[in-house]
Amino acid sequence: MSENKVLGADLYNKKSSEQVVIDASGIHKKYRVYLDKGYSLKEKVLFWKRNRYEERWVLKGVDLKVKKGEAVGLLGVNGCGKSTFLKLLSRIMYPDQGEVKINGRVSCLIELGAGFHPDLSGRENIYTNAAIFGLTKKEIDARLADIIEFSELEDYIDNPVRTYSSGMYMRLAFSVAINVDADILLIDEILAVGDANFQAKCFNKLSELKRQGMTIVIVSHDIGTIERFCDKGLWIKDGVCASEGIIKKVVADYRDYLEEERQAALEKEVEAKTKLVESGEDQEQKEKLPSTFLDPTATAEDIDFAANRFGLGYAVITNVVLRDERGKINSTFTAGQECSFDIHYQIKKPSKEYIFGMAIMSKDWYMLYGTNQREDKKPTDLPGDTGIVTFKINNLNLKTGRYIFSVSIIDENETPMDFYRNYCEFDVVSDKGGIGVVQIDHDWVIQDGKKKDGDK
Amino acid sequence: MGKVIKELYDYRQMIIGFVKRDLKGRYKASFLGFMWTFINPLLQLLVYTLVFSTIMRGGQHEQYYLFLFVALIPWIFFSTSISGGAGCIVQQNTMVTKIYFPREVLPVSYVTSAFINMLLTYVVVFAVTLISGRGLNPLALLYLPLIMIIEYFLALGITLITSALTVYLRDLEYILSIVTMAWQFMTPVMYGVEDFAQNPKLQLVFFINPMTSVITAYRDIMYYGRAPELKTLTMAICMGMLFTILGFLVFGKLKRRFAEEL
Repeated sequence: MSENKVLGADLYNKKSSEQVVIDASGIHKKYRVYLDKGYSLKEKVLFWKRNRYEERWVLKGVDLKVKKGEAVGLLGVNGCGKSTFLKLLSRIMYPDQGEVKINGRVSCLIELGAGFHPDLSGRENIYTNAAIFGLTKKEIDARLADIIEFSELEDYIDNPVRTYSSGMYMRLAFSVAINVDADILLIDEILAVGDANFQAKCFNKLSELKRQGMTIVIVSHDIGTIERFCDKGLWIKDGVCASEGIIKKVVADYRDYLEEERQAALEKEVEAKTKLVESGEDQEQKEKLPSTFLDPTATAEDIDFAANRFGLGYAVITNVVLRDERGKINSTFTAGQECSFDIHYQIKKPSKEYIFGMAIMSKDWYMLYGTNQREDKKPTDLPGDTGIVTFKINNLNLKTGRYIFSVSIIDENETPMDFYRNYCEFDVVSDKGGIGVVQIDHDWVIQDGKKKDGDK
Repeated sequence: MGKVIKELYDYRQMIIGFVKRDLKGRYKASFLGFMWTFINPLLQLLVYTLVFSTIMRGGQHEQYYLFLFVALIPWIFFSTSISGGAGCIVQQNTMVTKIYFPREVLPVSYVTSAFINMLLTYVVVFAVTLISGRGLNPLALLYLPLIMIIEYFLALGITLITSALTVYLRDLEYILSIVTMAWQFMTPVMYGVEDFAQNPKLQLVFFINPMTSVITAYRDIMYYGRAPELKTLTMAICMGMLFTILGFLVFGKLKRRFAEEL
């Protein structure tokens, strides 16, 4: 992390001028979370106990130095404090500790059109809105034409703003905010302005402003946008800076973290599900269980072979976990790569042998391939009453599409114990050409016809 | 504080916009429109004249309705500023929580708009004074702008405090309407300071009350046609300055958590 810091700083020291326009150091911010807040005097006096609040520190010491002309992207998951940080930069709120020094006029695209008055015309609103950014009438007069032109609202500019569509409203607000000749522009997740064309126009305008030396700070969940637009990044995690420096590095760090989190969440989910099924507490699952599972006197004749799940239930499938080529839990596989299906089982009544089987079907129930351990002449000894049997595919030669996975356990007499037709679905992504469902290993060979004839 | 004032100057267009919108909006939907600015005080004058000159017998002051009127109009400006202006930040909560601008803009705009309204009403005061035959002393009138400016800053200082406190204590707005009513009776609006010369307790109240000197000065200029005493003026200036500075300081402290409290 400290390495990034040095690296990023060096790079940009060379590029931009030395003037620091945003200098936030050691920013701490806490919110008071009132359990039950009373605003009136009566409530304050009578129910003074209600005014207890918990202090929650949103920011615990964040630093940011931005030089003139830089674009900085703030990254982080929901509730990490990045929007709060932006509000502190814009001086809507003040930090509890630390100091924010701003050098220049700030324009905010945090809440577009917050100062609009619905009954006033678009033109009048330009005046009031620009005045909120601290412009005088003369300055606004000089920019009026630009603002109207950029908003593309020439025909509607004298209509009351309440008659505008939300897109028009946003366009007008955006046009005002970027035309006030600010030195610093703070943007919070609002680039979803208007249609695609207008969005592109906004981006071009922002790039142009950046080239002209405007300093820009953006908060967005759209990592791609930030990566394309910003030079520097700051990733805030749990109120502290987790990574900062050149944008590529910060985005990479952040992406890694998101992927880890996603994996952890998936694993947890699977773990919880397995536990639930094994302990028999999964109500949903229970309801779906075939009647023969619960009836100890049931014989092979009682099995309903037409059901999605059937069998005697002496051995049951508690869960199947799909893993991709990296061994991570995933339900989307890459064609031509490894993948595996961990079949978790539980034996309720011992038998001489239990044989595991599987099948892959297309979405229209066409069996693509099916097999079991006996067919494959593989050992079937199980280590205990519960365990995992993994079906591993070394080269998944399917085409792009969605497939159905079936799984089964039968005993030595081929009586179904737990037969699950549509256990789950999985997706395959292939980058190879050709059509169909199966990727057949092949080659094209061209030979010289004359030579061939001669050989004969 | 100097920084705040410079910033307020930069944001003058916003203040102008607010004042314009307020003055325009005040009587927008009514039939007589802007005329109400003049009709309203005239009707008030009529009521006070009827009540005090006929029913309650205003007492030792000749042309009591004038005695009252020249003081009542400045008082109304003052009391609407501090009680009405108390809610000016809470009312604009969407703006305060979403955009940056110097928060002082809101109370400054409110007080300014009320002040302009008083200036317009004062046209009526002039007219009535002239018609009544009492006449005006041009030399004394030179002091009128000064005393008006002092009152403006006094009202601004107190409004800064009340509006900021209302954010934290919402029903202050209602409490203030009672407070201003009581305050009115403690201020020589309906009577003169000299009427209670023998009552030391009341004299102390008058002395502490920052509005005493202002109202006395107004009455000296407009009713008695004389320049205010130096003592009255000094007192008014000191009170005005004290409350302006206090107002900005308190507001500056309290404004830091506006966005969270709203």
